[in-house]
Amino acid sequence: MTPRDHKYYWIGFAVIIAALAIAPLVLPPYWQRFLTEILIWGLLAMSSDILIGYTGMVSFGHSAFFGLGMYGAAAALLMFKPANMWLAFVFGLTGAALVAMFVAYFSTRLRDIYFAITTLIFSQIFYVIIFTWTDVTGGENGLSFSRPQLGIPGVWTTPFTGETMHWFVLAVVAGSYLILRRITQSPFGMVLQSIRENEPRTRAIGYPVERYKIVAVMLSGMFAGLAGVLYAIQNRFAAPDFVHFLLSGEAVIFNVMGGIGTLVGPIVGAGFFLLLREFLGRLFGEQFPYLIPLGFIFIVMIIFLPQGLLGFARRWLNR
Amino acid sequence: MSATAAATEIQNTPLIGVEDLHTFYGKSHILHGISLKVGAGEVVGLLGRNGVGKSTTLKTIMGLVRPSQGRVVYQGYPITSMAPHKLARMGIAYVPEDRRIFRLLTVMENLRTGLDRGNVTDARKRELLDKVFTYFPVLAERRDQAGGTLSGGEQQMLAIARAMMLEPKIILLDEPTEGLMPRMVSQISEIIGALHREGVAILLVEQNVPLTLAASQRVYIMEKGEVRHHALASELKVGDPVIQQYLGI
Amino acid sequence: MDLLQQCFHGMSFDLFVIQTLNGIVTGMILALVASGLTLIFGIMDVVNFAHGELFMLGAYMGVLVLATTGSFWLALILATLIVGLIGAALQITTLRPLIGRDPLTTILATFGISLILQNYALWQFGPVARKIQEPYTGHFNLFYLEYPWYRLVIAGLSAAIIGGFWMFLKYGKYGIWIRATTQDRVMAQAMGIPVPWVHTAAFAIGAGMAAASGVLFGPLVGVNHIMGLDWVLKAFIVVVVGGMGNLGGSIAAAILISLLEAYASMLGCISPAQAVIVSFVVLVLTLLFRPTGLFVPTPK
Repeated sequence: MTPRDHKYYWIGFAVIIAALAIAPLVLPPYWQRFLTEILIWGLLAMSSDILIGYTGMVSFGHSAFFGLGMYGAAAALLMFKPANMWLAFVFGLTGAALVAMFVAYFSTRLRDIYFAITTLIFSQIFYVIIFTWTDVTGGENGLSFSRPQLGIPGVWTTPFTGETMHWFVLAVVAGSYLILRRITQSPFGMVLQSIRENEPRTRAIGYPVERYKIVAVMLSGMFAGLAGVLYAIQNRFAAPDFVHFLLSGEAVIFNVMGGIGTLVGPIVGAGFFLLLREFLGRLFGEQFPYLIPLGFIFIVMIIFLPQGLLGFARRWLNR
Repeated sequence: MSATAAATEIQNTPLIGVEDLHTFYGKSHILHGISLKVGAGEVVGLLGRNGVGKSTTLKTIMGLVRPSQGRVVYQGYPITSMAPHKLARMGIAYVPEDRRIFRLLTVMENLRTGLDRGNVTDARKRELLDKVFTYFPVLAERRDQAGGTLSGGEQQMLAIARAMMLEPKIILLDEPTEGLMPRMVSQISEIIGALHREGVAILLVEQNVPLTLAASQRVYIMEKGEVRHHALASELKVGDPVIQQYLGI
Repeated sequence: MDLLQQCFHGMSFDLFVIQTLNGIVTGMILALVASGLTLIFGIMDVVNFAHGELFMLGAYMGVLVLATTGSFWLALILATLIVGLIGAALQITTLRPLIGRDPLTTILATFGISLILQNYALWQFGPVARKIQEPYTGHFNLFYLEYPWYRLVIAGLSAAIIGGFWMFLKYGKYGIWIRATTQDRVMAQAMGIPVPWVHTAAFAIGAGMAAASGVLFGPLVGVNHIMGLDWVLKAFIVVVVGGMGNLGGSIAAAILISLLEAYASMLGCISPAQAVIVSFVVLVLTLLFRPTGLFVPTPK
């Protein structure tokens, strides 16, 4: 990037953040909430982009990390009175990190498709455990709890409203984006990209590829867990559906639709997917099997638009 | 008869004509406009050092690599970038440098990949098999053994035998004697002669200059992706200055 | 001690024999599903995510044909053929354009297919499970239980289909084409084998085998739109444990895992839903100690 590009990049970034910050003030509550959810799903998708786009490993198990973030937050919010938001983060992230460590240790022994399958199978293990361990997890019904207060307990607190929730989520997502962007540009990120380009050669140069992969999976898992905590706080419940493989699949779809290896792309992809779903639902009714047309669009994009919407837009702008 | 006279003689009816072929692997330019011809029933040698594009020429003819420019004509029809399996059915057989035997298939099954073509009668199949088993008795002995368990020389024989199952008009033969012991080399040389007598054309890529000069009628010498020299095999000798210049021997 | 007692409560030799039988029956169906998956993976490096949905589609086709014709055997044959054709169409439209691209794109594309098929089934047939009437309702006496003949028929038929498939691969002209293409795609083409069509045919055969398993399994449980996921997961585990692309290994792994699950569900302290975890444990242990697969010779 030239210094000029740099300037434009930060101006663009500021404009988008400003627009997203103002949005809840002008949007009706339904769309305000919708936008907040896009950001949360975008964060989940962005976290898996670290693996798909930067390390060349497709994870079909991100729902496990997201779900553990959710259930971790639920544990903290149910166990401690008064409910403390920060403890929810600590518990959620710890839960996600532990699961990520477990999954990473085993699944990084395999490459490519085998990695994808193992992550999928691991996430289903956690799904089965959570679904059947009714005493602790509430089983099929999940857990519900009340929302904690925003702020530092004992110093200053305020209840979450639609707006403050949105701003809070926006701050977390924007912060995560900046951290992840920094990581992908760091020497560590370069090694990950070199693993994606040529794993045997990266190993031959002397990098401990497995260790890098394990760290990458854990990092990715923690940000997915962060998204899970945000979702739990926003919706005041944790449910096994969010640990199910279908969610991991959606995260992958967001990535492909938006453009892998771009960090922002997955958020765009999440927005595109959710808006299309909403649009189809309004057009044909709630019962409409929206995943049929969305699946078609997904396949068509894989074949004809492998760089996703963002890659397409970039090419189009550069003409 | 000079090389040009020989060339004009087959000009009218070349079995395969390659015209100005350019091929790239990614960004590296491998073939810089190769042109050559092989007449029906003719054995043509393609000499040159390692990495000058001899194997790529064969792969491009076989449709395994797409040329960026130029064309390949077979019996008067353009066949550039046609699917390899169609070319094989049209009578072009390919014996690659590394032999590429189907390692887990038995010798017999390896042969059947070329033999099971439809419209080949059982009698004809037996005839073809009998023929290769006469040429290569060792294959008959090992017919139920997995291809991967054969020795290097036996694998080379199987590769040639497998190509013969297609009843080809031309065989693209890539370094058949590479890494073989002398006894095997002379056997390969004999089979080339036998195929020539049967009227099968051969485009022979080789490092073994004496064998190539003895087996072929004409030779092309390549350097850096181009044909630099074209001569009748009878005009060249092993110690020839031209050979020394381009091959360094 | 309480837990131990709870776990082993009600265990008996009779139950052990019955569960062994049950394990072998599901193991054979699983082997049938996994064989198709292995075939498709071996020949074109495609992990077919939609394999479970082809299984489910086969079961629904079975329901439909059975309802119209009343013949189970016709349902079995027609469902296999129809789903085989659907498989061929899917391969031509979605997988062929992806040849030469990163193999990961094919797993994404087949995942897309599975989403479409699953939601189509839900939309078309609704969430209520359908039933396939088994062709034999007879029982025989096994200890104190009446064991249905049909289960043995399933195991036998699955074994017969796998055996027929194996014979086809071993001796058939097209079987040799498939094996040659699996080993060396480029050389197969150079030998005149129409590789793109061999790919399509292999996908169709794999799809047909999945559909046949779906019809055979239909009578044991209901047929619903989400039945595919369980099977594809188990088949994936089987394929990894058996060694990717290794047909014999897949069959052995399928029976091993099904037996272990059947035995696990005898334990009083494990609910049937949790018995699935046994196969996950087998997978984890395989990954730890033999990542190339349990049933492949140690590479030298």
